[in-house]
Amino acid sequence: MREFTRIFHNRRLLAVLLLIFLTNGFLFTWEQGKESYGLDLSPPPSVFISVGADGQMPNHGTEITGAACYQAYRTWLSKVRDMPLTEAGICLAQEKERLSGILELADLLETRGGLYGQDKLNEYREKFPELTQQLERGTADLAQLERDDADLAQLEHGDADLAQPERGDADLAQLERGDLDLAQAQLDYAAVNNLLRQITYLEGYDAYLSSIQANKENMLTFSIFNDPNSFSGRNILKTAAEFDVLQGITLKLGADGAVNAFMSFPLTDYLLLAVLALICLAFLEERKKGLWSIVHATPHGRLRLAWQRGATVLGTSVCGVLLLYGSNILLGFFIYGGWEDLGRAVQSVEILGTLPVLCSVGSFLLRYFFLRIGAAFLMGLLMWLLLLAITNVKYTIVILAVFLTVEYVLYTFLPVQSVFNLFKYFNIFTYISLSELYVNYLNINLFGYPLGIRSQSQLALLPLCAAMAAGCLFLHCHKKPFGGKDLLGRAAYGINRVCDCLLKRLRMLGMELHKTLFIQKGIVIGVVFVYAAAGLSYTQNIPVYSAVDLFAKQYIIALEGVADDALLEKMDRLQADLDGTIDAFEEAKKQYARGDLSYPQFDVYAREEMTAQLKIDALAMVRLRAENLRELGKQKGFIPWLLDETPYESVYGEAAQGNQQTAALVSILALSLLLAGCMAYERQSGIACLLVSTPRGRRDVLLRKIGAAALLTTVVWVLPNALELWGLFHTYAPHTLSVPLQNLSMLERFPLRCNIGGFMALLYGLRWLMLFGCALIVLGISQRSRRLETAYAAVVSVTVLPSLLYFYIGIAPMKYLSLARCVTVMELLVPGGGSLGAGLPAILTMVSACGAALWSLKRGWRI
Amino acid sequence: MKLEIKNLTKKYGRQLALNDLTITFEPGICGILGANGAGKSTMMNLLTDNITRDAGEILWDGTDILELGKTFRGLLGYMPQQQGFYEHMTAQTFLFYMAELKGLSKKQAGQEIDELLEVTNLTDVRHKKLGGYSGGMKQRVLLAQALLGDPKVVILDEPTAGLDPKERIRIRNFISAFSRDRIILLATHIVSDIESVADQIMMMKTGTMVGMGTPAGLVESVSGKVSELSCLPEALADMQTKYRVGNVFQRKGQTWIRVVGDILPEEGILVEDHLSLEDVYLYYLGE
Repeated sequence: MREFTRIFHNRRLLAVLLLIFLTNGFLFTWEQGKESYGLDLSPPPSVFISVGADGQMPNHGTEITGAACYQAYRTWLSKVRDMPLTEAGICLAQEKERLSGILELADLLETRGGLYGQDKLNEYREKFPELTQQLERGTADLAQLERDDADLAQLEHGDADLAQPERGDADLAQLERGDLDLAQAQLDYAAVNNLLRQITYLEGYDAYLSSIQANKENMLTFSIFNDPNSFSGRNILKTAAEFDVLQGITLKLGADGAVNAFMSFPLTDYLLLAVLALICLAFLEERKKGLWSIVHATPHGRLRLAWQRGATVLGTSVCGVLLLYGSNILLGFFIYGGWEDLGRAVQSVEILGTLPVLCSVGSFLLRYFFLRIGAAFLMGLLMWLLLLAITNVKYTIVILAVFLTVEYVLYTFLPVQSVFNLFKYFNIFTYISLSELYVNYLNINLFGYPLGIRSQSQLALLPLCAAMAAGCLFLHCHKKPFGGKDLLGRAAYGINRVCDCLLKRLRMLGMELHKTLFIQKGIVIGVVFVYAAAGLSYTQNIPVYSAVDLFAKQYIIALEGVADDALLEKMDRLQADLDGTIDAFEEAKKQYARGDLSYPQFDVYAREEMTAQLKIDALAMVRLRAENLRELGKQKGFIPWLLDETPYESVYGEAAQGNQQTAALVSILALSLLLAGCMAYERQSGIACLLVSTPRGRRDVLLRKIGAAALLTTVVWVLPNALELWGLFHTYAPHTLSVPLQNLSMLERFPLRCNIGGFMALLYGLRWLMLFGCALIVLGISQRSRRLETAYAAVVSVTVLPSLLYFYIGIAPMKYLSLARCVTVMELLVPGGGSLGAGLPAILTMVSACGAALWSLKRGWRI
Repeated sequence: MKLEIKNLTKKYGRQLALNDLTITFEPGICGILGANGAGKSTMMNLLTDNITRDAGEILWDGTDILELGKTFRGLLGYMPQQQGFYEHMTAQTFLFYMAELKGLSKKQAGQEIDELLEVTNLTDVRHKKLGGYSGGMKQRVLLAQALLGDPKVVILDEPTAGLDPKERIRIRNFISAFSRDRIILLATHIVSDIESVADQIMMMKTGTMVGMGTPAGLVESVSGKVSELSCLPEALADMQTKYRVGNVFQRKGQTWIRVVGDILPEEGILVEDHLSLEDVYLYYLGE
């Protein structure tokens, strides 16, 4: 208990453990929303509804979310929960068809099917007479408000009109105002669809079990696998025997969400591993502090301490599992419900369908928790054993990291069919990713005999724990603090010798970079930054909301160039072509009325006319834009250019602000963590007094540190900005860089006369300067800190926290302290559409902060 | 070549750390003896311009070292008391880095580092990370860096702390040989370290100099101020409150004490021979 208290007396450790616990809970909850609460939100196949990346389904002016959908799911579940499965299936299937019809019909109206859609509408009249009447009643109401009876008759006859956008919009509006709530229909459709899938699985489970037994009979009788002495034969027999116990099992419909989420959240496994690693590393404290020999020489410093540490590992395993996994399942039940379904057979949850064990969901969870605790205890003991086996503290951590990496690579990348699959499954990660054992049924080939991974892993758990515990006790008691062979130390010495040869060639700047990247482990930050920056999004999709916009965009691309008279003439020619199409349709209409044209022939004209109308609108928009540009060009004295602005908008526009902010924030965070220790480390290590007593230890060291900061700033600046430029130019040729900037509507009020390329150079140059300003501020703060921890905390509080509070929490006053806002630059250059003046205060503040930082550096570089 | 300190004063808040100190150092080894808080480290930090002075001057050949700045630091070798290191650097890399800071060429640095590593007996572990060094080894690395670049003024703060006797003798002899045409200021608690090598000894107490002279002169100055007497163990505490008691030792089954001071017990036997710097230390710096 005393050892347990000693370890948990460390406030830093407690803070990290608390952070892990909170992170787990937060990410678990967030993951459920992100995964749409485990529901499939897809619409009926014939409805053109897109599901967004955020899991939301925009349609008909409404958006359905996973949460709302899950609410509908629970409502429907409560309706059918107590029905027999077959009856529930029939009921839900009918409901699905009805809802599918509503959504298809609504979609038909919304997409302005017009003439083309009329046939389809008739089909629906036959298929869903009641529903169509309901919808048409709504349309009739509208007609009373906006149209005369003739229009309604036309609509009934399907002659036209639905093709017209205004009418289509009105129909949709009426539909939404009418008897039907389309958003609810979408929710209900998704809920019913998901329930039906569940029922399909439950109804098919008996057939699945029978197929396993049938396979056994068939394959042993007829197939090439009929050798009962081969692995395949034995495997079939074993599988059939194991699943035989499930024959006649009764499955029940229920809320599976909590169990599904609980079994499918691997992050908790790794967080538990981290908790155990932290506790085991706490055992090394005495070695780090040079107390090992003292502890080893005390009467209770061997066996008794070893027992206490074993108990600490066990206690941590129990508490860790209960807190991390317990919170997951409780959060799961809170989000999804399902307490009342714990008595169902475990196979009722589809994800556990391949578990050949007769038990209820509740007893499975209980058993899972016990196994989790056992597995955690085993992992803890294994880590402790490794740490005990290696004397040198520095190498133990490296060896532990290497061991876990090798095990992870084997577990993740070794194919199931590999002859080395023993290494895949007899692996610590089998116990870390324990859920996998229960959601996948697998026998592996061990010398021709099928070995059930789940059962063997369970059986092996206790003996392995005992063996590991014995090993730990033995090593803890018998390992001597001094005099062991240090083979790793010799290898490290050899490596150091090579490194020394390289390092002795470095000048001061090189040494400063070496100190930052390798001695202060900045390289780790660098790698994480590269990974994070590569995963960020730098371009924002600019949606085209209507066909007119789409045509306008196409025209602009086709007509791109100087907006002169020649361009307007080109537009006139295009307009004339489109007018011709309209005239042709008018003529065709007359011919159709006369009976000279068949309906399909007329339909072709109608479609062309509809397209031409849209194109005329689009061309009018383009012409307006060109004329505006010509006017603006005359006023401001630049050459007007018509160009497609979408690529620039997608990278620099308002829509891309979020991307820019995130990239800036990641860059600042990386730079802050890289440089926070730069000055503080010299003080904490006590070397500062020595440096400043040397001839080049003051100004020169300071300048080299600033130089190193500038280099690191450049590296941090290059990656996201290069990716941003790549995002801009990999789909769009950079031929418009020489175009005057004011031709971009988002920058037409920019006060400096330059071309787009010049503006981009200014933008990226300013970004570098702002980032370098951040680096100076970080150095300035680091200069004022005597300890690394203080430096990191202070730097992050100043450079990152205000931006986080402003961008993600929305605390407006933080805007003025947000460095990320300065680093994005766009917001400073173009606040709300273009004024350099509005950005000046922020720029001046930044410059002042940099000045203060430089002053602090110059004054403070003494002990 | 001389280093003069004139009326140097330094305060930490209200506490006077160095009080109007005036002294001139000339080539040779000057041992600085003083208890903790005597102002030794403050003086060293002022000499290396690691802290700002409140009053006074430090002159190198007549010019203030603040004026000389980089030039003076180019003449300086400094070994601080605290063992500050980059724990993840090897001794060789650390010394090359320090050589770079001292403005040595790579070739000169290489030669000097080889030589100093040999002298400090670190050649075999030159590629080992400093974090893995014992206290004594770290002390030797610090000494080696102080001697890099042929400094004219060497300031050594407790250079032999943590070293075993053999290493101490070795280092002491090296410092002695190195002291030709250089000013070496050697602050220590270990009297025997400076007894044999120091040309001058400066005694410091509460920020002021209380004695200065050659070891022989200082020993001579306590002649007639040391006596020995037998003492019952139960009377020892009483004697310690009355007199400055140095060594307590056993002779012919009796407990004897050595007393230092202007007032000596009447029953004591005056010590005329075998006076040591420990007696001097006790006389000048004892409570």
